[in-house]
Amino acid sequence: MTTILTPPTHTPARPVRAGRRGLTRARRRSLLGALYAAPTAAMVGAFFVVPLLLVVWMSLHKWPLLAPATYNAPDNYTNISENQLIGSAIAFTLKYTLVMTVLLFGLAFGLALLVQRRRTGVGFFRTAFFLPMAVGFASASLLFLGLLSDEIGPVNEVLRTLGLVDGYVSWTSGSSTTALSSAVLLVLWRFAGFNMLILLTGLQAIPLEIYEAARIDGASRWQIFRRVTLPLMRPTIALVLTLMTTGSLLAFDQFWILTRGGPDNSTTSLVMVIYREAFIRLDLGSAAAISVALLAVLVVVNIIQLGVLRRRSS
Amino acid sequence: MRTGVLKSWGYGATGGALAILFLFPLLWSGWASLRTGTGFGLENYDRLFTSDNGIRPHHVINSITVSALTVGGTLLVSTLGGYAFGRFRFPGKETLFLVTLAILMVPYATILIALYVLLGWLGLQDSLIGLSLVLIMFQLPFSLFMMRNSFEAIPLELEESAQVDGCTTVTTLTRILLPAVRPGLITVGLFAFLTSWNEFFAPLILLNSTDKFTTTLAVVNMRTASHGSIDYAALEAGVVVMAVPCLILFAFMQRSYVRGFISGALKG
Amino acid sequence: MISRRAQLAIAASAVLAAGLLGACSESGGSSTTPPAAAVDDGAQLTLWTRAATEAVSKAYAEAYNATHKNKVAVTAYPNEEYPAKLASAAGAKALPDLFGSDVVFAPQYASQGLWADITERFAASGLKDKVSPGHVRAGTWEGKTYAVPHTVDMSVMLYNKDLYTRAGLDPDKPPTTLQEFADHARKIDKLGGDVNGTYFGGNCGGCVEFTFWPSVWASGGDVLDADGKNAKIDSKEMADVFALYRKLYEEQVAAPASKDEAGPTWLGALQGGKIGIAPGPSVWLGLIEEKGVKMGVAPITGLNGGESTFIGGDSIGIGATSTKAAQAWDFLQWTLSDEAQVEVIAKNKGVPVRTDLASNKYSSADPRIVTINSLVAKGKTPYAKNFNASFNDPQSPWLQTVRGALFGDAAKSLADGNGAITKSLQQG
Repeated sequence: MTTILTPPTHTPARPVRAGRRGLTRARRRSLLGALYAAPTAAMVGAFFVVPLLLVVWMSLHKWPLLAPATYNAPDNYTNISENQLIGSAIAFTLKYTLVMTVLLFGLAFGLALLVQRRRTGVGFFRTAFFLPMAVGFASASLLFLGLLSDEIGPVNEVLRTLGLVDGYVSWTSGSSTTALSSAVLLVLWRFAGFNMLILLTGLQAIPLEIYEAARIDGASRWQIFRRVTLPLMRPTIALVLTLMTTGSLLAFDQFWILTRGGPDNSTTSLVMVIYREAFIRLDLGSAAAISVALLAVLVVVNIIQLGVLRRRSS
Repeated sequence: MRTGVLKSWGYGATGGALAILFLFPLLWSGWASLRTGTGFGLENYDRLFTSDNGIRPHHVINSITVSALTVGGTLLVSTLGGYAFGRFRFPGKETLFLVTLAILMVPYATILIALYVLLGWLGLQDSLIGLSLVLIMFQLPFSLFMMRNSFEAIPLELEESAQVDGCTTVTTLTRILLPAVRPGLITVGLFAFLTSWNEFFAPLILLNSTDKFTTTLAVVNMRTASHGSIDYAALEAGVVVMAVPCLILFAFMQRSYVRGFISGALKG
Repeated sequence: MISRRAQLAIAASAVLAAGLLGACSESGGSSTTPPAAAVDDGAQLTLWTRAATEAVSKAYAEAYNATHKNKVAVTAYPNEEYPAKLASAAGAKALPDLFGSDVVFAPQYASQGLWADITERFAASGLKDKVSPGHVRAGTWEGKTYAVPHTVDMSVMLYNKDLYTRAGLDPDKPPTTLQEFADHARKIDKLGGDVNGTYFGGNCGGCVEFTFWPSVWASGGDVLDADGKNAKIDSKEMADVFALYRKLYEEQVAAPASKDEAGPTWLGALQGGKIGIAPGPSVWLGLIEEKGVKMGVAPITGLNGGESTFIGGDSIGIGATSTKAAQAWDFLQWTLSDEAQVEVIAKNKGVPVRTDLASNKYSSADPRIVTINSLVAKGKTPYAKNFNASFNDPQSPWLQTVRGALFGDAAKSLADGNGAITKSLQQG
């Protein structure tokens, strides 16, 4: 990329009308910034905004796969309430998000606290906790499918030898509780390390002097944690919580592969319903409508979360 | 003293127990993949590579190609973009950043058909390049965030002294700033590799010809052996094969990506 | 200066408009001139199939490629994700030249126009009355034919001859009524240990419909009306069949794992050699025997007699967006020929889709194959446009009904389920 502009030291001191040789420094800077951001804008515009607009457009039509589309707004949206699966899917997705966020956050924070100081073995521990990220999520789901299975998984054998379980048990489809637990366990295993690293950086950004000062003032460990650590970690915590809640609300793979939404639709998430509308019922308009509604909810939720973050950290 | 020793035993025991728990599934996967009907052996790996729909060299080459394109493209776009967001002000900056973050809020199922149509319009359907472009797009929220924060963390003096010396933005970027954001670059590159290497659903929908399939597709095809019955052992072998390159990369880059996180996530 | 966002919006609308215009003009491309007869001119044809059918599709293709100028390349996709693959390709107007699907999904794809209209070609071929009528019906929508039969997979009773002998039953006298089946299962279950009388897919709508519905049909009942718009699964026959299997489960004659069986481990359970007698796909006969289990085959019977089967398998048609319809038809027509049906299908112990070739030079080698082949005349292929969403999908109202009928409040599940399924069948 070549620049057409002269080095800053030759900039005129006062603003000049826009022209080839007379841009102000600020304007030139701004143009440069836009140029550097152009590839991003192109990628996001072409591969995200355009398809998204198409999805919004589709949500206003009855959109058969090959035949021409017919305008039918707002039917796709009003029909959402008639969908038999939507109610339980929303309830389940919210419940799952709550359970997952609490557990995953607790575990990730605990791990971060454990490995924050330089000690022997800390590198090994950090790697061990982060290692599950090496496995793709679909692969990890298949891994757990085998791990929890009766056929080759060790879990049932171990429980049987310990006498905790009698006979045949299916973890991924035995009951709604075990199915949910299997999915939760999978996600905890895979993502605890990742979130641990993010929280770790927040922890390590707190200068040691602050801890020193608090200790000199006689604060207990718990008080230090509550009054010093947590407030200073607020932005990091907010980021982690945002990622977790968004990820949970959009959960799909783990249920598709591990539990197939069962047993008895007890682990059917919202995105599974979208998938079903699009690819099983072949009703693209309806799937688009549910997606747009979900996106709207997520945008609102994230705006609220970011708003809370901004107010608190200032 | 006493409490010190106890504390460090507590730390060691807890850490050790947790480490074992976290490592267990991968270790078990390796063990299960070596188990045959009559003991242990490489039979499952053999089946993985030689069966009709098993892994072939072209699968691996395709996976490497897609990963290389995705990593390269992501690094390019997010570095330039991160520089822009971290160091410049320009109209639409906030909007563009928020729209990029919004990518995280849209599930695959929603956008995949539209992307398929779009790639068709661009003449990129059933192509590794088209697939890579889509994967780059999905990487943008995380990588842009990382690189922006990495650039923001660089002291202004560094850049200003470079400009006083007469560098243009381009040379500032390449000679001074890039080395400073190296940890961030490594983190972004690593994540881009992990995602593109392991990606399943996007290649399934966006690729049609068998000679363009990636390794992950081949492994998942092994999932259903004869008539929908699961071949668990071959499956675990597939998981191991897919994970090995990633594990190797991890081992080599452990320090770098931790530092990358520190420099990249600091500003929350 | 126009903001970047507005610029993007304008660009996007332009692209969208172009795309929509393009889409509108592309659709409805069937020619008004009579379709050419089959053409073999060295075209490269793409064929998509699901993983379960891969072996057969590839066998067809190999044999065809060896003797024709056209070449067919087969791509198989994972079973569970195959519908998504087809829908995406259709949505992008990029379907392959040929693609197959589960026969019960054929009405849906035909109604969506995913396959090209082959009514005239099929009529001209003279094969219309010689192939599995259930498949032909499935590929028909509003009087037009869109797909022909590709493979046949029927449900039969598979029983373990060794366990029969051990339980004191005659291994050459399989049950002739469903009641007898239940009694045989009970007797075998008494052998104890890890032997179980029977097995079924209690968490799999497709498995249950495949194995239970023939008993309903053989008893004179039905599950669907002819148009696939109204469910009849609350009929007395269906309720009785459910009750029979439910009792077997409660007595633990049916393996406990049946409750959670969603399909993937069904074959494995039978291959273990510890199940006495269970209904299952006829194509599994060879697969189970490979594991050293001696198997017998019998038709699925009604409660008090009669025989029937669920005629499943795949249908195949020409992709609606293909530009090589004539060449694709050449392949399709060839697959229905004597040569293909006998040398490719029958030779590999498959069931020919040609009803007039049920007894051929390979079938008589194994009397069990004769039994299986003869069932094509006695079975049914259910027809419904919304079959997948109503019956096969894990989130379908049918699976809910099955679970209730077998493990919960049976009467309520059947009554509520019938209403829910009917609603699903009539949707959009």
